[in-house]
Amino acid sequence: MIVKVADLKQYLYCPRIIYFTYVAPVEKKVTAKMAIGKEEHYATVRLEERRRLRAYGLSEGERHFNAYFYSERLRLEGVLDMYIVTPRGNFPVDFKNACRVALNHKYQLVAYALLLEDHFGRPVRGGFIYLIPRKQVHYLEITPEARLYTKKLIGAVRNLVAREHFPEVPRRSGRCADCEYRNYCGDVL
Amino acid sequence: MYFFTDEEKKHLLRYHLPRAREQGVAEELRGWNWHQPPLEPVYRDVVLALYEVANSYCPTGRDVYLRRVQQKRGRPNLAMIQGIIFHAVVADVIVAAKRAIYSEGVANYRAIVERIQNHPPIPLDEWAEQLSKDQLDDTLAKAEILATFEKTRVLARLQEILTKQPYIGEDSLVSLALPIVVEQKLDGSFLGLSPNLSTDAFVFWEPMVIDIKFDRQRDFHRLTTTGYALVMEALYEFPVNLGCIVYGEFRGDRLIVKKDIHIISDELRQWFIEARDEKARLVAEEIDPGKGECYEECPYFHICWGE
Repeated sequence: MIVKVADLKQYLYCPRIIYFTYVAPVEKKVTAKMAIGKEEHYATVRLEERRRLRAYGLSEGERHFNAYFYSERLRLEGVLDMYIVTPRGNFPVDFKNACRVALNHKYQLVAYALLLEDHFGRPVRGGFIYLIPRKQVHYLEITPEARLYTKKLIGAVRNLVAREHFPEVPRRSGRCADCEYRNYCGDVL
Repeated sequence: MYFFTDEEKKHLLRYHLPRAREQGVAEELRGWNWHQPPLEPVYRDVVLALYEVANSYCPTGRDVYLRRVQQKRGRPNLAMIQGIIFHAVVADVIVAAKRAIYSEGVANYRAIVERIQNHPPIPLDEWAEQLSKDQLDDTLAKAEILATFEKTRVLARLQEILTKQPYIGEDSLVSLALPIVVEQKLDGSFLGLSPNLSTDAFVFWEPMVIDIKFDRQRDFHRLTTTGYALVMEALYEFPVNLGCIVYGEFRGDRLIVKKDIHIISDELRQWFIEARDEKARLVAEEIDPGKGECYEECPYFHICWGE
């Protein structure tokens, strides 16, 4: 099974999303929050194309947008919002329509960094998360522990699908309110 | 054992401290958020010791099931007994040194030195029955090496401070020369852990939990410092970003000391919480996880595999 980087984010948000995507596919309802998020995302990309790299603390570099990457080694794929190629190295950038960097954002970025590494054959030391509403850039170091954890997550997603295991609900009930699968979780709502 | 060499200090100041401050930790994984998921304990009635969560010597966690559900008692192995004794030796020297400073006073520096140098070894009567003659001799010899090393280190630190600070008082001398609290008692109940936890040492100048191991380096050892860091954050509401495992190894008459300084990262915190929830579930639901690839010195080997 080829895991998508977005699957990792979803798995951390709620592992049931993976179940409803791969094991028992159901029709999902696009929520208003998602539709708005997508539009803001495109607008950010358009603006970013004209901006300088000062916000990223970089003096020079080449920006690439919406790049598809696939790693045979990790059997992982994803479309990265942006990456910056500099003499100091390559940096993945993920745009998020959120006010703070959440844990699932972090591991998504690490997964993109792993993909970039495999593609260019160069180590990636860090990456950026751009918070759209705040217009803030956050640098995250790609630590050895974060790499290991991300690989573990890839395995966990694969394992869930292979075992066809219906997972427990995460204990954050607030997350269910805007969920596109909320109608299918009878034990929650 | 607890004092850093110049190289270790350099590592700490140039690498670990700046990174720990820059990287930060996800807010939901800070100990002070114990009242909400993911830190909030799922099984409130289950109270685990921190070592039960952190130790992964048993690959399936059956040791916890046997102890907590089946109420079975393990047979401590030699490494465990020696570990307890060596921990006690280190703590004893530190406490004796502090006591000597307070009771003799800075003016009687020579008396302090004498008291520390002549501090008697801790009696091993309590453990003697559980050890063979050879094991007891070996343990006594190693305990002496350890105590001698620790006394020398403490005296060196005392001298260093006293040569720099002509007007120093007893309390300040203790705080500067021995800036650690040994066997610090902590209440882990906020995180579903025992209310009577005890960490080997705690450093205050940059909040850091220190744990001593007389074992080879294993990745899950860092879970111990992580657990204590979470508990300290829950109790005192300040960030504890660093941990250090001190590895002691005896080679002939020598003691080799290595330190694993690490950041209490998001990943370690998540690993600890997952381990806590997994083991608490075994106990709450009375699930026998079964046997794994066991090691023969396991305290529960005789229960899992017969005599």
